[in-house]
Amino acid sequence: MTIPHRPMSLTVNGKPVGPIDVPNDMMMLDFLHDYLNLTGSRFGCGQGICHACTIILDDPVEGAVEMRTCVTGAHFFAEKRVRTIEGHATRDAKGDILQLTPVQQAFIEHFAFQCGYCTPGFVTGTQVLIERLRKTPIARADVEKTIEQALAPHICRCTGYVRYYEAIRAVILSTPGLVSG
Amino acid sequence: MNKAKLSRRGFVLGGIAAGVAIRVNFLADGARADVIDNPRDARPAWIGPNGKPRFRMDAVAKVTGDKTFTRDFRAKDMPGWPTAQSNALFIRANRADAAFESLDLSVLGADLQPDRLVLGEELVRDGLMPPDGAVVVAPGFYGDRFLVLKGETPRLLGQPVALLIYHDFPQFAAARRKLRFADVIQWGAKTGYHPPPPYGAGRSIRVGGATPADADLYAPLTGTIVGGTFDAQGVVWPAANASGNAAEKAMAAAETIAAGIENAGPDALVLQRRFYSQSVDASAMEPDNGLVWYQADSGRLHAMIATQSPYEVATATTAMVAISKFKLTAIDLSIGYTVGYGTKDHSIFPYYCMIAGLYGDGRPVRLANDRFEQFQMGLKRHAFWIDNTLVIDRKTQSFEAMKGVFRCDGGGRRNFSPEVGFVGMVAAQGIYYLPRSDFSYEAVASRAVDAGSTRGFGTLQTMSATEIMVDEAAEILGVDAIALRLKNVLRTGMKNSQGAIAGGQLRDDELLVQMQTHPLWTGRAERKAVYEAANPGKRYGIGFAQVHKDFGSVAEGAITTLTLDPTGLLSMRQHGNDMGTGMTTSQAMIVAAVLGRAPESYTFGIVDWPEMPLSDEGTVGTQADQDALAQNPRWTPCFLTSMSSSNSAFFIGHATREAARALLRFSLWPAAVAIWSEGAGGGQFGPLSANADEIRFEDGHLTAGGLEPLSYARLAKVAHERGLITGVSVHSFNRWQFSQAIFDVPTIGTMRLPIDALSLRFGDGAGGFRFIDRQQVFYPEVARMNAGVTYYSGMATLVELAVDTASGQVDLLSHHSLLECGNQIVPELVSGQIQGGLAMGIGHALHEDLPLYEDGPGNGTWNWNRYRLPHGRDVAVWTQTTTVLPPLSETDPPKGMAEVVMIAVVPAIANAVTHAIGKRFYATPITPEQILEALS
Repeated sequence: MTIPHRPMSLTVNGKPVGPIDVPNDMMMLDFLHDYLNLTGSRFGCGQGICHACTIILDDPVEGAVEMRTCVTGAHFFAEKRVRTIEGHATRDAKGDILQLTPVQQAFIEHFAFQCGYCTPGFVTGTQVLIERLRKTPIARADVEKTIEQALAPHICRCTGYVRYYEAIRAVILSTPGLVSG
Repeated sequence: MNKAKLSRRGFVLGGIAAGVAIRVNFLADGARADVIDNPRDARPAWIGPNGKPRFRMDAVAKVTGDKTFTRDFRAKDMPGWPTAQSNALFIRANRADAAFESLDLSVLGADLQPDRLVLGEELVRDGLMPPDGAVVVAPGFYGDRFLVLKGETPRLLGQPVALLIYHDFPQFAAARRKLRFADVIQWGAKTGYHPPPPYGAGRSIRVGGATPADADLYAPLTGTIVGGTFDAQGVVWPAANASGNAAEKAMAAAETIAAGIENAGPDALVLQRRFYSQSVDASAMEPDNGLVWYQADSGRLHAMIATQSPYEVATATTAMVAISKFKLTAIDLSIGYTVGYGTKDHSIFPYYCMIAGLYGDGRPVRLANDRFEQFQMGLKRHAFWIDNTLVIDRKTQSFEAMKGVFRCDGGGRRNFSPEVGFVGMVAAQGIYYLPRSDFSYEAVASRAVDAGSTRGFGTLQTMSATEIMVDEAAEILGVDAIALRLKNVLRTGMKNSQGAIAGGQLRDDELLVQMQTHPLWTGRAERKAVYEAANPGKRYGIGFAQVHKDFGSVAEGAITTLTLDPTGLLSMRQHGNDMGTGMTTSQAMIVAAVLGRAPESYTFGIVDWPEMPLSDEGTVGTQADQDALAQNPRWTPCFLTSMSSSNSAFFIGHATREAARALLRFSLWPAAVAIWSEGAGGGQFGPLSANADEIRFEDGHLTAGGLEPLSYARLAKVAHERGLITGVSVHSFNRWQFSQAIFDVPTIGTMRLPIDALSLRFGDGAGGFRFIDRQQVFYPEVARMNAGVTYYSGMATLVELAVDTASGQVDLLSHHSLLECGNQIVPELVSGQIQGGLAMGIGHALHEDLPLYEDGPGNGTWNWNRYRLPHGRDVAVWTQTTTVLPPLSETDPPKGMAEVVMIAVVPAIANAVTHAIGKRFYATPITPEQILEALS
């Protein structure tokens, strides 16, 4: 390979990955798709606009952080821990799904998506929101506004957002400790 | 043999490509959902205990990041494929006014040069040209060249000039980044633009009788749609002649309408307005993509393609490759879930994927647009220029006549441009009865990125204009805008602008009446006053609009096969594939409604139908053509249609329902009677008089008239042991009316069914399916092609918004919609479609806009950073409401509604902005700049 590259290691969905030689300027999304065959995080715009590509960076200080992988280099994640959409549900040793997260369960029960291309980004953004609310609960009156603000960057072309937002509200209101007062 | 007159399937199967095996698989398997909850339960987990879907069939796979979309797949995921995959990209023209001379790829340096560079000359030498289209077999449907030849001027912006293939992914990714905005094409002298000739023109003219019930004096249904030709000045219509041929008579009728408008006296309001509806990118989240592997030695072409029309892709690819230098013995096409809103239906992109694969030197090649490339190549919604005249009797407020001239820009490839113009034309009357109408369209060519089948198919453009005009007419006449609509609404039995009577009861009047009493409408003056008093600098408006839209097309062919295995498990094979609408879920629920349970296994997107050996070879231009072709019991006017035109619920659902009914009557009922009749005196069945009409399913068991409930397992065991019918395959055809045929069904008897082909499997199916040649067939008359429409679903929308007079920004406060769509198969899916359609309509009305030419998407610099899609904050996500009109009865068919739901909100927003600031807008999108200009 004549393209500048260097080895990197990271933890993906709880499992160590690497060291793998990765081009210095490769985006994380390409790394996930074409090196790890984790294609659930979706390419939408390549500009960080639509947020279909987001994953969770588990930062030891800040906790869960939503990251756009189409505009973030793979090497940024070296030695870090990330969760992709494939790592949210509980799976058995074969990879079959045992249990969905409450966010995923709410999305499917609310018929929240149609084509589903943007769904991994919405799951990711919502999961980060839920984990933030666990640390910093909000007042009931602020739930809708909080959802709007947290998910505002995420683009969905099929559904008009209503069922996504309603599902998120249902998760927030049914999960103890996320809403105060 | 005149190939131009053959349908695609006829050409492929009867012509040069005879013998090529075509196989299509649906690779993304929604059955992964079954592992959730209770895997020991035979019933798929997506169905709840009440038999209703708990979630979409594909929900779990999609929410967990499983490979579902075509774009998710790589060669290493494809069974039997080599794992070493190449990747390809295009160099695309960002000019269309000069000759392409050469490429300068020095920007790539020595390290990033492609492993394979394919130029247009090589394709021509190898005999590869774009296919001619399938549903509409038209030369130039996809243009004349895949790649621009040296010395030639691109016919459209964004047209590829070279294909670059890389074997190494990092090299590919790096090269793509370097090439993204690089100027690597060497251009020759300016040549001017070289778009193709105009794509077509048509005119629909109707003069009704003295009353709506009287026979028309002239109408396309009994006359003709007039075709136009072109000269240097534009469209040329036939000369008028009241005693001439059908077209000349039509033009004579047009002259009477024109004279009536010209001579309208002071008692008439003659409202003339011009509108513009912009070019829009559908922005399906999954960009176009495909993965193709060609085995030169065996002649097998394997492909995984994102498409709404797999049948067209498979057959047209066969035709395309068969006349090239490449050996072709088989096409193995896989498809996944995808999304396109029409733009992946009859797109040229799959054929570019095939080209990439053919030049992959034995390696699978992936061609996947990024978003810049998708803007540069993806099919667009047509820009429309509309010139309308509406004549209203001021005294009676009755619409007397309407004339509409519609010009749409199809860009540089024909695609469906004439058809989009046609459908927009026949929809222009909106929800109104027009005693006289003269609508015409002109589909022109240009250097713009090509436009095609995009959600709305021309109707959003023409109906929005009509609804804005009617709102203005009401204002001028000083009457309530909904009352004016009610006065003129098309009622049941009235004729549309082609002279056809819609199927079933029209319910537009019900929608109007309900919306007229909605608090947003009745309280709009008071609300406006209160809001504006409380919000200085803001202007408040309420707008209303209502449309009804056709669903389906002039040729809808569908197949469903249902089989019963010896243990009682049901399997379904279906030609439809899921674009995100949830059709896989809804088709399964259609089966459940008839058979008391959804199939346990299902396969969608099937093209290869050995059990349905039909041909659609031959052109149906006249009734005599059809009568002659229909003599062949294995002929149908249309084998399979693509996923488009909101066609899954009604048309594909019809085939599914009829297959289920046939299995019930031909298999389950005879098996049940056999079981019930066991024993002396005819068993438990003998003393009773139960018949098949009394079949009911209780907890998955079949019963009737007090007879013992029977499990599927018992019924299947008997059906298999006794060699009864255990599998049914039906083909249905619709041309604004369903075909019917008479069959002699073995073991059952002779019967007339609303299908045109039937195939049956007996017992264990060892002999395969047996095709039952029909005894007589009743196809819709060919004149139905002129009817344009007989199936409508209706949508009314009220919008409440505020305009910021300082910024010109429009803030949607709330909206309420009322939909009429018959019976809902899965209400949650309908609701999602409504909400999504509204969001897309909001984008069209307020946000989305593309310049057509050099500054537009063809220049390769467009992405979602400058093309504004609606976000959650833009759609009144928490305050929007929707009601679906209850069906007339539980037997109402489910109607197509995916397109109609996005249209009414567009003119409703325009009308609301007018209510807010007192200025009218005749072009979309309505931007803050335009509002500020209007306010100034």
